[in-house]
Amino acid sequence: MTTLHLVRQSAFNSQELFQCSQIILPADILVLIDDGCYNLNHTLLTNIKNIISVKNIKVIQHHVSARGLNVPEFIEVISMNELVNLTFDTENVITWQ
Amino acid sequence: MTKKTLAIINSKAPYSFNHGKDSLDIALIFGSYEQGISLFFQGDGVFQLTPNQDGEQLSLKDYLKTFSAFEFYDIEDIYVCLESLHERSLTSSFHIENVKVLPAREFAHELKQHKHILRF
Amino acid sequence: MNKLAVIITSPPSSNLSVTAIEYIEAALALQIEIVGIFFYQDGVLHANTFVEVPTDEYQAQAKWLALKNEFNLSLHLCVTAASKRGLQVDETNSVEPQSSNVADAFEISGLGELVELTNYADRVIQF
Repeated sequence: MTTLHLVRQSAFNSQELFQCSQIILPADILVLIDDGCYNLNHTLLTNIKNIISVKNIKVIQHHVSARGLNVPEFIEVISMNELVNLTFDTENVITWQ
Repeated sequence: MTKKTLAIINSKAPYSFNHGKDSLDIALIFGSYEQGISLFFQGDGVFQLTPNQDGEQLSLKDYLKTFSAFEFYDIEDIYVCLESLHERSLTSSFHIENVKVLPAREFAHELKQHKHILRF
Repeated sequence: MNKLAVIITSPPSSNLSVTAIEYIEAALALQIEIVGIFFYQDGVLHANTFVEVPTDEYQAQAKWLALKNEFNLSLHLCVTAASKRGLQVDETNSVEPQSSNVADAFEISGLGELVELTNYADRVIQF
């Protein structure tokens, strides 16, 4: 049972990533979109890496490049099409916004 | 395993935002159409359940009172995140009955059993 | 075929709508069947024809209309949320229909429609 978590806010500004980190489970997938991209170097992401496999943390390519951010090498960069496919490869979606 | 149609995570305190009321309206419609719906309270959302509130002092319609009608609408699965209570120094004291307080992990397991999840 | 319903709760004044529209376009390109889009909370403001965005900025409403025209998407507006936000949705009361500020592409719906969509869709995504 896999849930897809979409985080759209910066954890430096609000609670979404924190609350997501509280309930994310080992089989889940996390995608950082919109201002969620600013979480790439947030300490909460380190906590999440202890729960879910690093390969299940992803970021939307143009959302991160538009913001001029560097993506740590362990994070997979995906397209919007891949996000749509992930929506149907998982059982349900939570949007953290 | 039959999955319930909808879970709503309530994440906002009741008065400064309309999110609690907007979520309640969805819950009541699902209840009246006899659709399975569960309510989850996390973060400041737990303040929607704490006792001794009176929104009328703020000139607001006190929609929290409607929570006592959940049973009538067959909305029986109401979950609260234990960690969210602890962070806010709250006890398991609520203005409605039959609320299940669960540690985050179990809270998450219940949440996953739903076909769709919305968050307000 | 995979069936998707989308719930829009972000207003057009937020750039978050761009992502929602990009996602929907990607889904359509992948032959996902979009069973309906439900506008709720500040999302209903997408239907407001009085909203004017400078021409060099992102035109969310024009995008919705184009998607509606090309793919015949159902754009459902929650009537309660819309009325609360100044959209004139009371059709029985409109002596002058042209005075309505709801864009034609949008249908006036209620939360009952959300029940239908969640039942029919394989996935529901909120933006």
